[in-house]
Amino acid sequence: MLQIKDARRVFFRGLPDEKVALDGLSLTLDRGDFAVVIGSNGAGKSTMMNAVSGALMLDKGSVHINGEDVTAMPVHARARHVARVFQDPMKGTAASMTIAENMLLAEMRQNPARLRRGLTHARREAYREHLSYLGLGLENRLDTPVSLLSGGQRQSLSLVMAVSGEPDILLLDEHTAALDPRTADLVLNATLRAVTALKLTTMMVTHNMAHALEYGNRIIMLDAGRVLLELTGEEKARATVPDLIGHFSVKSDRMLLGA
Amino acid sequence: MDILSAWIALIPVTLAQSLILSFVVLAVMLPFRILSFPDLTSEGSYPLGGCVCAVALVAGVPPLPALLLAAAAGFLAGCATAFIHLRFRIHTLLAGILITTMLYSINLRIMGKANQPVFQEAKVYDWLSGLSLNGSWTKIVLVGALALITYLALNLWFATERGTAMRAVGANSDMAEAQGINVWRATIGGIGLAGAFSAFGGGLMVQSQGFADVNMGLGVLINALAALMIGEAITGRRTVRHQLAAPFVGAVVYYQLISVCLAAGLPPGDLKIATGVFVLVMLAAPTLGFGRKGGGAPAKESFKE
Repeated sequence: MLQIKDARRVFFRGLPDEKVALDGLSLTLDRGDFAVVIGSNGAGKSTMMNAVSGALMLDKGSVHINGEDVTAMPVHARARHVARVFQDPMKGTAASMTIAENMLLAEMRQNPARLRRGLTHARREAYREHLSYLGLGLENRLDTPVSLLSGGQRQSLSLVMAVSGEPDILLLDEHTAALDPRTADLVLNATLRAVTALKLTTMMVTHNMAHALEYGNRIIMLDAGRVLLELTGEEKARATVPDLIGHFSVKSDRMLLGA
Repeated sequence: MDILSAWIALIPVTLAQSLILSFVVLAVMLPFRILSFPDLTSEGSYPLGGCVCAVALVAGVPPLPALLLAAAAGFLAGCATAFIHLRFRIHTLLAGILITTMLYSINLRIMGKANQPVFQEAKVYDWLSGLSLNGSWTKIVLVGALALITYLALNLWFATERGTAMRAVGANSDMAEAQGINVWRATIGGIGLAGAFSAFGGGLMVQSQGFADVNMGLGVLINALAALMIGEAITGRRTVRHQLAAPFVGAVVYYQLISVCLAAGLPPGDLKIATGVFVLVMLAAPTLGFGRKGGGAPAKESFKE
């Protein structure tokens, strides 16, 4: 369960280009919720994600995960609860390290590194199995450096790494935006399978309105650092792409094209 | 033929020296290649280790604890560099230069003078006096064994979870942090470890040459870098094992090259330009198309959309 209360964050405070990124944003996700977050550029989506992951500290307000106050917890400590897939495939993996080593690193979110052997035989077998679900053949390339993988393969690996260990909160930050349409579909389908199978509490940022309507059980629309609109159940089922777009204060080309 | 015989006559001495200095090369490699933290602190932690070791020996500390004291001092120096980089966001190179500069004064303070002879004191090399080897060969056997142990220990370390975490910090620190790895701890620990190796090398050198000098670090960094480049050209950087072997192989080969230059009659004053040319050639080789596969860095990252 995720609870953001009255979150406030201002960038460039006191300067001419002061920007209020989060303006008293409050949001609660129940266990197993799959929330799709939409909103125009600068609405505060990324800032909110960063505030949840710990990459950004709030000026005011609080973040609770499963009832625990994590507001002041640094990224590496919060990793026990939160896993994240970024838009940029380069960000989520260590390029110079092998696939197996990256999988091992993902394990460290739940179990901090200790002075014991890393890649044991048992672990390699487990990674082989987890990777085989992707159907990309990565399970046979455990010792390949990640730098040799394509963007789609890397993003798929990031996804497997993120869902391994069943994080309390899964953050997907436009994680298919940098991929070609076919690969994007592949990664998105893998995401849905994992999220559904593991019942992960998920927040997915997207600019694709069709995806927002099709996936998840909630739509959360941000504007100027607050929640502008929240659709669940019936309301979500009835909503259409033009409905959603109608709520955007700034209509960028990308959103229209995405629809 | 004169050159050849002169060179062969020099081999025991240069081999012993190069094995000692391989610890400094290791201290340059770890931050640079494993932690992506280009660091110049070794230039200061090497004489620091030497000074601490010399003072400890004179104070009656046995040779091995004196070496360990030196390593501990180097560890602190490395930690200081890492800390000022992390905390004050000072560029790694600048942080290393600052610490190295300050260490010069500290080294002078530690010794109380610019030069400290330790000819009379016991040395680690005395342990092997029972083998009745020639002086240089004693050093080669002892330091060679230490280097081998260090190489094997580091291989084991980087195969552990913590070692993998440390590598991840160098490979992608944001990603490492998001996987629950404490980037501060790994960086400070890793740079500290490098400082310890450099100072350990300084201590070994002082016990080998019989004196410590505040200026003994002068130029050690560029020599280490040259050795590392040569080592990487030979071993490649494909796996951690290859990467870890590079400093040791490189140190031995590099100092033999220098030795050949000296045997050929190159004035010592010209060695710096020779070193510079070695480094340049090693760095430039891949761009000229005859670099070994996996050795050195490609001139340009392969093009990606």
